Amino acid sequence: MHRLFWKIFLSFWVVLVLFTAAIIFAASQYLEQIKAQRDASVRYETLNRQVAEAQAAIERSGIEGLKSWAREVDREEMVPVLVLNADGKDLLGREVPPRALERLQRHLKPQSPSEQLVSKIRPVARLGDGSEYWLTHDFQSVTLGRFLQRPRVIAAPLMVGVLIGALVCLLLARYLTAPIERLRRATEAYAAGDLNQRVGPSLGKRRDEIVDLATAFDRMAERLSALMLSQKQLLRDVSHELRSPLSRLQVALGLARQRAGANPAPELDRIEREIERLDELIAQLLSLARLESDTQPPAPEPVDLSELLQTVVSDAALEAQARHCTLHLEQRVPAMIQGNAQLLHSALENVVRNAVKYTAEGTAVTLAMTRDPERSGGLVISVRDHGPGVPEEMLTRLFEPFVRVGDARDRMSGGYGLGLAIAERAVRLHGGDIGARNEPEGGLNITIRLPA
Amino acid sequence: MPHILLADDDIELCEMLKEYLAAEGFTLATAHDGETALLKAQAGAFDLIILDVMMPRKNGFDVLREVRAHTATPVLMLTARGEDVDSIVGLELGADDYLAKPCNPRVLVARIRALLRRAETHLSGRSGSKAAEALLFGDLQIHTGTRTVVCRGKTIAMTSTEYCVLEALLRDAGRVVSKANLSERALDRKLAPYDRSLDMHVSNLRKKLGPRPDGQDRIVTVRGIGYQYVVV
Repeated sequence: MHRLFWKIFLSFWVVLVLFTAAIIFAASQYLEQIKAQRDASVRYETLNRQVAEAQAAIERSGIEGLKSWAREVDREEMVPVLVLNADGKDLLGREVPPRALERLQRHLKPQSPSEQLVSKIRPVARLGDGSEYWLTHDFQSVTLGRFLQRPRVIAAPLMVGVLIGALVCLLLARYLTAPIERLRRATEAYAAGDLNQRVGPSLGKRRDEIVDLATAFDRMAERLSALMLSQKQLLRDVSHELRSPLSRLQVALGLARQRAGANPAPELDRIEREIERLDELIAQLLSLARLESDTQPPAPEPVDLSELLQTVVSDAALEAQARHCTLHLEQRVPAMIQGNAQLLHSALENVVRNAVKYTAEGTAVTLAMTRDPERSGGLVISVRDHGPGVPEEMLTRLFEPFVRVGDARDRMSGGYGLGLAIAERAVRLHGGDIGARNEPEGGLNITIRLPA
Repeated sequence: MPHILLADDDIELCEMLKEYLAAEGFTLATAHDGETALLKAQAGAFDLIILDVMMPRKNGFDVLREVRAHTATPVLMLTARGEDVDSIVGLELGADDYLAKPCNPRVLVARIRALLRRAETHLSGRSGSKAAEALLFGDLQIHTGTRTVVCRGKTIAMTSTEYCVLEALLRDAGRVVSKANLSERALDRKLAPYDRSLDMHVSNLRKKLGPRPDGQDRIVTVRGIGYQYVVV
């Protein structure tokens, strides 16, 4: 439990401790170095080296060379080196502490033998014109502020700290977000209809809160899939079971008709009509159940979609005529695609009949078939009616089985709410998609996109 | 009176159909499982056998396979609506026709009549008003009188439906026969959209007759139109 909690806690803690330790170590190292410089011999050695460097700088470019050398040293070294002229003024205009001035005085006018010894080493850089500059270490100016401002001092530990920190944080972030990303992708795929999405197996041996979450997701996915499957199974079973009584009903009606002889009761016609409706509903349910369980179109063959559309339009023309509507096939491109003609036919037929059913009396249903501008070889078929349209929030649910838009209207028109569901599944089985949108000037536009 | 065997596990349905078909002039024997159906089919002389696919003990396909091994009695398969593959399997196994259940009994009677008409001319050797003749196409010979087919010197056993399809194709040999035309001439009914019956019968014919001596197909499919028996 709480493995992730401890991982985050410990890694932050360890990095902070390491970082602090590195800084302290670097600081103490440097202070050691400075202490060593206070030691006379080391100090003279350093000073000698610096004098030589200063002289070299002068040889190269005179007073300017000395200035830039002084600036360089000031930037890099912990202990500032003052470059004083005979008046005790610093070459770079830095403030000169009294003790440094004192030392300068002693150098200029040595009094005691011990001082003579000291002045034997003359930390002097000479210019071409004979003027001399005294180099002297300024320990008074060594402050914490200066210490932190010197990049050479702080750079190495800072760099190491930043790199280690970045590395640890990077690994941690990756470690945390990778499975979350996987979970997100799985959730999206699941939402898009891939009910077989599971996250657990892809996370391997890992054990922490995210894996717990993934396991919970998997359990939920499992349960939902089972529920959905059983719902579909139920629908299919019920439809299958309904066939037997319907068969008997049909034969019973036939017997009743035989007995009625030449003058059958009008109720028999009514019964026959209702039986036909039931039969149609069951047929639709079964074909929907079939489409749900299939993953690719049965027996794909070359289908002339253009011709298919023409057939559907002529078939629906009669229905349209009954409602004083017209069907108008505006545009057609020659198109052969691989698919199942029967399924594509039923998809187009359902969409067209739906449009004919809902378009206002006396208006036109407009169809067009064009090449898909977004997908080469793809096709777009749009069917647009001049009906009441569909409330925006229902647009996506339009393709679910048994979804009705306006209850009263639909019952009047005798639909079961299965046609568009069948169309959607048939189109999806062919790798295409179907969508609906309301036209701004009223009416619904259903668009079918099919790949080549 | 034509004698029909109906094999369906729905006892009530069988009883009602018996009554209905009796009024239409058929006598009906029934069986409610596959084994009984097979025994009855082998024992009695039926003019037509109607087989439901879903039956206990032995399904309709198995019964059909065994019946076909012995006799060319016309068989009508009752397939479950929504199981379109069943019809194809049934036709492939040599059924003469199929009907999706639930079906209108009027349609059932029409199918029965069409099948019996075909079989009757087959058995009695009468071929409508046309005189008996022998048609010869290379190594294939058919006798319209006895309705026998001889290919490469061997008599080929055929169901009456297969024979009707072949005869229709041969009478127009060398020309393309449209599916609609073939359906009306050979199956006695209008071509329904997406009905695979003709395709299956033609496929059975191809299997039974084999390729031409030169290795080419005897019957070619003209996509979207129909079939053609190729004459060299």
